[in-house]
Amino acid sequence: MSSRRSRSRQSSGSRITDDQIIDLVSKLQQLIPELRGRRSDKVSASKVLQETCNYIRNLHRQVDGLSDRLSQLLASTDTDSDQAAVIRSLLME
Amino acid sequence: MCPHTSLKQQFLKKWIMGLQRCSFSKKNMSILERKKTIKLSADIAMASARNGTTRWSRALISNASKDGSDNRLVQQILGPDSNTPAVATTTNKARTRRASVCKKIVKRSHQIRRRRRKCVAAAPVKAVTSSISKHLVRKRTQVLKTLIPGGEFMDEICLIEETLDYITSLRVQVDVMRSVASACFSQS
Repeated sequence: MSSRRSRSRQSSGSRITDDQIIDLVSKLQQLIPELRGRRSDKVSASKVLQETCNYIRNLHRQVDGLSDRLSQLLASTDTDSDQAAVIRSLLME
Repeated sequence: MCPHTSLKQQFLKKWIMGLQRCSFSKKNMSILERKKTIKLSADIAMASARNGTTRWSRALISNASKDGSDNRLVQQILGPDSNTPAVATTTNKARTRRASVCKKIVKRSHQIRRRRRKCVAAAPVKAVTSSISKHLVRKRTQVLKTLIPGGEFMDEICLIEETLDYITSLRVQVDVMRSVASACFSQS
């Protein structure tokens, strides 16, 4: 954590090196499921950024849909004991 | 996999605690209100799991607190945790940081314009293709800045680092919410 902070402080003062950006972009590529299999030199930075934006929007949409679903499910189950059992089972994992 | 599962549990605990602080199960809420409470407490749980170590998490909480109608709800969810004084100071710091970042951006754009004029004069074909790709990267970076909370004030390196962390946290959020939803569904 401290190494990351010191690195960003340096880069804000000095020039941003290409290697730093290439390294970060390849890390980003590994996170995105669509681009994970491909070789890093075959995928351009703009493609990685585009897929990142699409992926984040997709995750936002999933959160929204799940909140919808949960609001309907939790409205129908009135008992606290049901919810407590659910939570307990999840915490055990 | 161990740190990942503990992050899930941390998120789940914070989320459930936030919902309980809103006396979620006792109030009679409309579906929309319920959804808003669920989503807001999930976002705040995700952000507070970072304990103020990342910029996006601080920006998310301060943005949620700024919104007048939701402010009371946010305070309820955050509860007696001492996160709120940190929020006030970061907005002031963000303002001065914003001013210095804006000046840097203006300076850098002038430099780039000067450099671009020189490039175009020298080698036209190569400059055109590289400037197109640079333009695309710039355009996509702008879009990414709108998606990450607090992204408008970050430089490129910081933005990508924050994106990496934000994506990991979003995934945890989706996973936990999905497992809660499927568990609730199988119960009812």
